[in-house]
Amino acid sequence: MRVLIVEDERRLAQNIARSLRESAGYAVDIAFDGEDGLYMAQTNPYDLVLLDLMLPKIDGLNLLKRLRADGGEVPVLVLTARDEKESIVSLLNAGADDYVAKPFDLGELLARAKALIRRGKGHSDSVLKVGDIEIDTSSLTVRRKGELVVLTAMEYRVLEYLAHRPGAVVSKTELLEHLYDFNWERFSNVIEVYISGLRRKLEDDEEDRLIHTLRGQGYMLRT
Amino acid sequence: MATNSIRKRLVASIFVAQLLLVVGLVDVAVFVTRTRLRDAFDVALNGRVMSIAALVRYSETEPGKLFFESNLTPRSLGSEAPDIYEVFANGHTLIARSPKWPGKHGVAPPRGDRWISTYVVNGVPYRALRIENIPVLDAEERTPQRVYLTVTYASPVTPVIRAVRQVLIYITIGSLLLLLASCAFSLWALRRSLRPLSELAESAAAVSPANWKLNPPEEASETLELQPLTHAMTSMLAGLRQAFTQQREFLANAAHELKTPVAILKSTLQSLAHRPRSSEEYREGLDEALEDMARLEKLLHSMLRLARAEQWAAGNLRRDLASVDIGMTCQAAMERVHAVADQRGVFVDFSAKSTMRMVADPDDLELVWSNLLENAIRFSPDRGTVRLTMRSDDRRGYVEVADDGPGIPAAELPHIFERFHRGDASRTRNTGGYGLGLAISKAIVQAYGGTIELHSAPGSGTRMVVSLPVTTVDEPMVAVV
Repeated sequence: MRVLIVEDERRLAQNIARSLRESAGYAVDIAFDGEDGLYMAQTNPYDLVLLDLMLPKIDGLNLLKRLRADGGEVPVLVLTARDEKESIVSLLNAGADDYVAKPFDLGELLARAKALIRRGKGHSDSVLKVGDIEIDTSSLTVRRKGELVVLTAMEYRVLEYLAHRPGAVVSKTELLEHLYDFNWERFSNVIEVYISGLRRKLEDDEEDRLIHTLRGQGYMLRT
Repeated sequence: MATNSIRKRLVASIFVAQLLLVVGLVDVAVFVTRTRLRDAFDVALNGRVMSIAALVRYSETEPGKLFFESNLTPRSLGSEAPDIYEVFANGHTLIARSPKWPGKHGVAPPRGDRWISTYVVNGVPYRALRIENIPVLDAEERTPQRVYLTVTYASPVTPVIRAVRQVLIYITIGSLLLLLASCAFSLWALRRSLRPLSELAESAAAVSPANWKLNPPEEASETLELQPLTHAMTSMLAGLRQAFTQQREFLANAAHELKTPVAILKSTLQSLAHRPRSSEEYREGLDEALEDMARLEKLLHSMLRLARAEQWAAGNLRRDLASVDIGMTCQAAMERVHAVADQRGVFVDFSAKSTMRMVADPDDLELVWSNLLENAIRFSPDRGTVRLTMRSDDRRGYVEVADDGPGIPAAELPHIFERFHRGDASRTRNTGGYGLGLAISKAIVQAYGGTIELHSAPGSGTRMVVSLPVTTVDEPMVAVV
């Protein structure tokens, strides 16, 4: 998953980014003003945007309106210091999906972020199921036929991303874009490594494929 | 309950005043009545004296001998006790004396032609009149010598005393009844005319932080004596409301502004505690948390400073002040912003066209200049110049801070001195600003009776001019080489 944080308080942005990376394994980009934030949100395929309201250049509410007017459908979680009803209402009306009031709890922020990502992919349960595989997105664990499978962090992130869209073809570029921050091109040759690792741990034999490779198109998770 | 009642006091004053009036009236009435009655009594006494004198005749049988026709004595004036009389001829020959005459010398000694006095005989107060040298009326030509009579006639004065006493009683009772009625009326009238006051109090009691409007009842606003009170209350409420709103806004702004630094500190600590870390990471995290704390502390300090300056500007906090050299405070401020200026490569150019002093706290002035300088440095281009200038005219001193920054958009100008206003959030925040510096400066300058003016337009830089009432102005000494 790839998340964009638009927040002018550098320390706050970095703390949130660190938490998202460490406890959810997300790739995180940070924009320090509204202009950069809007540009990045419009050009990169994010799974979630964390948006502060008091921003230089373009304020959060305007950024949100312009993003939505442009057709951007990425889930947006707003960080606000205001908790009056009117501003919350206008936020939600402008297209925000959820909000947390400052000073917030990082744990709560993470839980809300994960829930928004799940719902953005069409799931509301925190446990994703594909065939005999269960992926618990809150504890970042994977079970096959009820037994715990130990995956590396990157293997888990590839599997989770694929599991959000079972039966759909996901290109290697899309995987890279969503699993890495803006430096993703440096990692273009490593996806195959993670795919083969996953196959080794989750598949019994070649006849009973779980992760399918469609040459020239990408990967697909299907039983 | 209240121990002092205007109504009670007014009624008491009215009562006392009327009581004095009553006492005076009764006094005058009694005096007049008594004088009149006594005059009438004296006239009657005079008549009796003359009647008694007329009863002294010359004897027709014994020529030259006087006798008294005692069977013709007139009726007593009063009925309680008989009148008494005494007649002497030529001052020493007793001619007649009433039977009840008290002793030989019961009456005061005869002196003068006419004598009148009051005295007590047998426990009854008598009033006596003595007239001397009354000629015997039926004197004839042949009478050898003229005989003159001295007649004393006394009558009990009791009827007069009784009449006076009755007058006294009637007038007193009547006046007291009227007095009671008038007090009752005053009470009622006072209650009636004080009603607008209690109505005004009711409408004042309805005023609260939720409803600042004082609705004085029509009767109160039409009452002359209540108009100053109504006006005072209205203007007091306006002042209170403004102060209250200002405080509430300040509190709301402060709470809002505190949220971000608290959120930062909290996130730093939470992400540090999120999982076990190396001691190196802990140390870094703690350092970060301390930095966050320092920012929070700076914000709190600024807010307190602003609150104090505003309170002071409102005249609430006076401190002992001394005469301060303004140039010295400018230099101290320049030292204070030295590090920030160096960081941006900004040069601060100081020129003093005169030496000025004023009564102030040097820390306050230094804070104002350093806030203005910091602001100018913040908006200056890298390696730009900020000009700090001191000049003066007859009355006032001016300290000016000018930069070559981008200038301030016209729409933003009215908000520059507002609390928590920030021009461009990214730039100010990164230098630790919270939008309080200019508000603090303005409050301090105003507390010293000065003004702060802003001249700016996009593209032409910004000039802040502080005007202060200075005490002494000297032209700078020109060094002669």
